Amino acid sequence: MKKEKRYFGKTLMVLATIFFYLPIVFMMVFSFNESKSLTHFTGFSLRWYESMLKSHDMMESLYVTVAIAVLATIISTVIGTITAIGLSSSKKIIRKAITQINDFPLMNPDIVTAIGLMLLFITLRVEKGFITMLLAHIAFCIPYVILSVNPKLRSLDPNLSDAAMDLGATPTQALIKVIIPQIMPGVISGALIAFTMSFDDFIISYFATGGGVKNLSIMVYTMSKRVNPSINAISTLVVVLITGVLLIVNLKPLWKEKKPKKKGSGKGKLIIAAIVALAIGGTVLFNAAGNRKKYEGQTLHIYNWGEYTGENIIQNFEEYTGAKVIMDNFDSNEQMYIKVANGEAYDILVPSDYMIQRLIEEDMLQKLDQSKVKETFNLIDSATLDLAYDPGNLYSVPYFWGSVGIVYDKSKVTVEELEEKGWSIFLDEKFKGDIYLYDSERDSFMMALKALGYSMNTNSEQEIQAAYQWLVQCVQTMEPEIVTDEIIDNMAQARKALGLIYSGDATYVIAENENIGWFVPNEGTNQWCDAMVIPKNAENVDLAYEFINYATQYDGAYDNSSYVGYTAANKKVKDDLYGEGGDFEGIDAYIPRAGYPLDEVFSYNANTKKLMADLWSRVKIVASNS
Amino acid sequence: MLLLPMLLIAFYSLIKQGNGIVPFTVTLEYYKKFFTDKDFLIVLYRSLVIAFKTTGICLLIGYPIAYFISHCDEKYQGALILLITLPTWINMLVRTYAWIGILTKGGLVSTILGFFGFKNVELLYTEAAVLIGMVYNFLPFMILQINTSLSKMDKSLIEAADDLGANKVQTFLRVTFPLSLPGIVSGITLVFLPAVSSFFIPKLLGGGEFFLIGNVIENQFITVGEWNFGSAISIIMAVIMMCLMMLVRKIEGRTATGEDE
Repeated sequence: MKKEKRYFGKTLMVLATIFFYLPIVFMMVFSFNESKSLTHFTGFSLRWYESMLKSHDMMESLYVTVAIAVLATIISTVIGTITAIGLSSSKKIIRKAITQINDFPLMNPDIVTAIGLMLLFITLRVEKGFITMLLAHIAFCIPYVILSVNPKLRSLDPNLSDAAMDLGATPTQALIKVIIPQIMPGVISGALIAFTMSFDDFIISYFATGGGVKNLSIMVYTMSKRVNPSINAISTLVVVLITGVLLIVNLKPLWKEKKPKKKGSGKGKLIIAAIVALAIGGTVLFNAAGNRKKYEGQTLHIYNWGEYTGENIIQNFEEYTGAKVIMDNFDSNEQMYIKVANGEAYDILVPSDYMIQRLIEEDMLQKLDQSKVKETFNLIDSATLDLAYDPGNLYSVPYFWGSVGIVYDKSKVTVEELEEKGWSIFLDEKFKGDIYLYDSERDSFMMALKALGYSMNTNSEQEIQAAYQWLVQCVQTMEPEIVTDEIIDNMAQARKALGLIYSGDATYVIAENENIGWFVPNEGTNQWCDAMVIPKNAENVDLAYEFINYATQYDGAYDNSSYVGYTAANKKVKDDLYGEGGDFEGIDAYIPRAGYPLDEVFSYNANTKKLMADLWSRVKIVASNS
Repeated sequence: MLLLPMLLIAFYSLIKQGNGIVPFTVTLEYYKKFFTDKDFLIVLYRSLVIAFKTTGICLLIGYPIAYFISHCDEKYQGALILLITLPTWINMLVRTYAWIGILTKGGLVSTILGFFGFKNVELLYTEAAVLIGMVYNFLPFMILQINTSLSKMDKSLIEAADDLGANKVQTFLRVTFPLSLPGIVSGITLVFLPAVSSFFIPKLLGGGEFFLIGNVIENQFITVGEWNFGSAISIIMAVIMMCLMMLVRKIEGRTATGEDE
């Protein structure tokens, strides 16, 4: 019977290992993918490793991640263990109370802890950066340590320490020689979990950090526009590194057996000490670098969408000006707003139209010095100038622009059908279970309002409610998948017949798969524009103008647009990329419809926006409840 | 440090933006809003169900694995534990993206199932996908916790039981299992609590049809910008889970030997 059990255990272990490593292997394979897709392998290439090594942002973030994880693990393990031991000998009521409080951060979604910590740092007026991120990590790791040490402490025989003390040990000796070794497995598993949590954390880090310090998770999560395989490359690197370290650590006991014991454990301590020293040294270095900046040429802080710049523009700009560029990323206008409205200082922001209007209304932007951007404005496509969100472009210089439309699989949908139905094709039960919606309240409501013949900027509650009903009908009868940027990859593989998409993403999809078409309904659509603005609290305005001009001129704009696939504001770049021999030759999605009377630009209205956001989350609730 | 942010959130959940003279007013409006809305309650219920399922599966798979590891030669125990934790050091989003690739139409799983005659199975965007993602993410914590309490367990107790004539099953049920209960409780806490509030996994693997309470809260904070309401929901959730955990600890206290109840 015992043998049987062994086999059962072994089989299970092997199965579990396969389960655990399947995605890891998958991820590693795709780090060698030739194209940007994370789900469709096209050929072998090392380009993502190259781009990983080239990106100093990525290497720096790897370093920050490791440093923070190591420091936070050590500190929180020590504090957590001491707290747990202290608790075990304190009164039952106190212990119970603290155990409950301890669970508190675990059961709140990270976002709550994140906002809470951000508010705390703001209230205390601590400047956000490496240290605040470290503090935040220590704070959320401690509960995990306590939780792991506790069970071990509780199964400990309480007489043990008494016995030790009876035998003449001091309380400290009893603690170190008797209790600690007994609870060691708990401490180790606590430390492992803390390390994992710290390594993997995104939201708390995002809101607790500042000054351009970011970890790997922040990099990954904010690459909202198609996560690219260089992330897989760096993750593969992490796996290889960790495996290497583990092999050394695990082989060590084997050496130990051969060599005199003392030396072996000394070595172990040495390794740990070296890691700690490295981490601390790095922290110091980091801060030192932060202080030296002022003399060392200037720094430009940009807050932009993830994956929204070309491969070389930042490097070229740095060479051209000698300044250092720190770019932070966001993946929604609202996410950006929370940080900026709470005092984070940037020199340039790249929000969308309606958000620019909001920032202007809330008096957070500087008026542009027109003399500094006059020539730049001459390069820009007139279709993107003087739009309703910023009449006369007193505050903003367009970066990318486009519209929203439908991508469709040409073998399943015909143009005639699309022309006949317009947006209402998303209600056509012929395509039931075969459509993607985009998880954005603005564009979903835009589609519904346009389908019903209303303005997408309506303030009439009745019309918005009608649009809500339209969307509810859609999710109840059509079984759509509500996705975000996964749609890019999915439609490039033609996994469904229809999808709602931004024109720039459609450009990429069609460039990958020519059997996909692009259609903009005659009922009108959202013409959007993401533009560069300078906030009031910008620290380096002159450099900001330099960048605005640089990014709009031919080379910068070409680099950006050809890499990202979004339509350049620079007219010549747009024409060249669309024209003969251009990267997007003949792809209509790259040339957004301009000047069509039913197309509109989003305008900001706090109440309507809140209502739509609220109703959209209800649509999603209905979708999951049906 | 731990408590302050929570207090701030609790404070936020109780106030409402006031007029120019009074900066804010105290209100229970947001709590009322939640409890009077059928849709929110359904979402809450479903989040709890998914979390229960996840926890159950993790316990069922995790316990035997932890048991197996703790009965291995001590030399290998550390290595096995590392084998299990290593994957969690890869970014969750990257791993979840890998699952998308594995589960999607034309992906690995559907191709393999295709060989067995199941054509065109798409697991992605189903409850199964969400469950796989959750179990994948949280199972290591369960294994770690249970293994911790199983290893270094006083082996003489088991021998004693043996000597007293208990068979293997009896020993396990009467001695080993009760002694590992604290670990199980920790494991459940570590799986259940984050599972209820997770929102990336349902978002990516559930295709928007698995809008759970974590998604509602995230949405309130970031997209809608209603911090007060978001805070209120998370406080409600925290209270519910606190009650559940108390219940679990009570049960454990009754069952476990050596607990000072």
